[in-house]
Amino acid sequence: MRFLFINHIQNARQSLKSNRMRSTLTMLGITIGVASITTILALSGGASKIVSSQVDALGGNIAVIRPGAASESPLQDIAQIPSTQHFAASTLTENDLNAIQAVPHVSALAPMMVLSGAVRAESSAPVNTAIVATTPALADIVGLKPQDGQFLDPQLNQYTAVIGAQLSVDVFGTEQSIGKTITIRGKSFTVIGVLKRDNNPINYNGVDFDKSVIISQDAGRELNQGSLQIQQINVQSDSVSNLNQVIVDMNKTLLKNHMGEADFSVLSGEQIAQPTNRLFTAIAGTTTAIAAISLLVGGIGIMNIMLVSVAERTREIGIRKALGASNSDIVAQFLIESLALSIGGGISGYVIGYLLAFGISTFLPFMPLLSWEIGAVAIVVSVVIGTLFGIYPAVRASRKDPIDALRQYD
Amino acid sequence: MPQTQTAPVIVLKDLKKRFGVGDAEHYAIDGIDLTIQKGEFIAIMGPSGCGKTTLLNILGLLDSKIEGEYELEEHSVASLSVRRQARIRSQQIGFIFQSFNLVTRLNVIENVALPLVYKGTTQLNRMKQASAILHQFHLGEREYYMPYQLSGGQMQRVAIARALVNTPSIILADEPTGNLDSHSSHIIMEELSDLHKLGNTIIMVTHNPHLTTYASRVITMLDGKINTDTAQQTEEEPIDAKKPLNKIGKSTKKRRKAKRKKEVKS
Repeated sequence: MRFLFINHIQNARQSLKSNRMRSTLTMLGITIGVASITTILALSGGASKIVSSQVDALGGNIAVIRPGAASESPLQDIAQIPSTQHFAASTLTENDLNAIQAVPHVSALAPMMVLSGAVRAESSAPVNTAIVATTPALADIVGLKPQDGQFLDPQLNQYTAVIGAQLSVDVFGTEQSIGKTITIRGKSFTVIGVLKRDNNPINYNGVDFDKSVIISQDAGRELNQGSLQIQQINVQSDSVSNLNQVIVDMNKTLLKNHMGEADFSVLSGEQIAQPTNRLFTAIAGTTTAIAAISLLVGGIGIMNIMLVSVAERTREIGIRKALGASNSDIVAQFLIESLALSIGGGISGYVIGYLLAFGISTFLPFMPLLSWEIGAVAIVVSVVIGTLFGIYPAVRASRKDPIDALRQYD
Repeated sequence: MPQTQTAPVIVLKDLKKRFGVGDAEHYAIDGIDLTIQKGEFIAIMGPSGCGKTTLLNILGLLDSKIEGEYELEEHSVASLSVRRQARIRSQQIGFIFQSFNLVTRLNVIENVALPLVYKGTTQLNRMKQASAILHQFHLGEREYYMPYQLSGGQMQRVAIARALVNTPSIILADEPTGNLDSHSSHIIMEELSDLHKLGNTIIMVTHNPHLTTYASRVITMLDGKINTDTAQQTEEEPIDAKKPLNKIGKSTKKRRKAKRKKEVKS
């Protein structure tokens, strides 16, 4: 049986070789389908991975508190991505801040209040420029480093701001903007620092720090009619091993503060990245479904060619049967041939898909995800397609009457 | 006739094969009783459409939709599964066709090795056996030729080599010389004759009366029935005895044959 299998493979190779053009074109159908799926999965995987890797890079001792209960349904999460336009009033208060500060092992915490509004200096900043009101601890927790000047300092005047490098270029035309004045919602702020570029437009803070302006909490409160809207609190524990304890304690404290209402969520590690990941998963799912249509077309191509091949080789089937091939031998012969087409297409599609993904990623802020799962998906998909669309022609070939088959002249 | 004591290889009892349905129904084989012993060389003759090839296909298990009894080596064929029939074709029966039926995509040695594939022989052994048998047929130098590069006689020798590579006990030949000139025909017939001498059972369909001289038993068929059989000629009158036209045809043929023999002698 094993020898027969090897023979079938040799046979398939030979028969595909003898119709090189036809085989290549048929494979191309599968190649395109698998390539598009590979590209989509690699890119979306890469995109989801940035957020999780950022969280990892911070040392694994970060927890994030967000207003609103953690939802179980992924679809709901997609509808509630934390964004700068979070209009609903936050359930997190200053009171909570103080309570968390008191939790043991919390080494630092940074509440973030993201406002939108006009930012202007020598020229207007882009409309969506984020105004982040926070405490100096943010720099440590998120890993923001000033390229020039310094970060926020409670000792200084509250009308001071730190701006992203790109924003500086946008409004001043240069990255050297220390000491210049920037107008935020009509109030003048002095630029005391310009942040180093970190090229991370997608991150768990929902803010592109390269293009935002950071002001103190007090200034933020003043800009927001005297009330503080905390959209996210980043908490750092003193060590990785204490993080779990900190999370449990924070949950307890906040629950008490909120009179038993779980209208907040404490997230850590992978969970922080989840909403973003789910969004990407949903996008990838939809595009993959579209790419699957091209696979279906490729599969139909295989079926078509296999039917032609069976018709052409009717006489050969008759000869083989007369020489002792059983029906299952004939099924195996043609099935292996269609599998060879689809797996060949799958492998080249996988390679081309990655080339494409790396090509596209040069225009994107992230690299494609390299993982064995995508390879497995490519192989499994092509095996399934080959079997699904190869089985009918193969069975048809095996059912041919040997006498009729021998009578056909080629 | 060798070894008549052993069980016959093939026993047919009232074998019928029907084609068509309703009004178009007709029996291509209409009640054949036949016993074939091991080691016989049988030539089946008869006009076109008398059911010779159909009979051969049935004997070769290519056609199993039959009425009546067919026992192959004491097993009733009707009771065999499709898979079992395929195995018998692979191991006990060798086919030789008029149109050679070599697989055009494969070269000579691969064609010869084809039956071994379904027997489950390893690639190396397949090639060894195929090569050995090709040398036997003086085709050793043609191993890697493609079928279209060979002459008709060579192709048929390849086909015979292929039929023999599995050392089958029964060889079925459907007009093996039908597409060959007389010189090649005689070479092929010599090969078959040698095989017969080695103890193989050969059943050959032919149109050419000259070739019956190689056979140990000649059966003529007419309208799906056995007309004459040299093994039973003394007991039975030929069916077409009452048909003068046919008889005249036959007797003139005989006369011509006799005349030719005289010429050869003189």
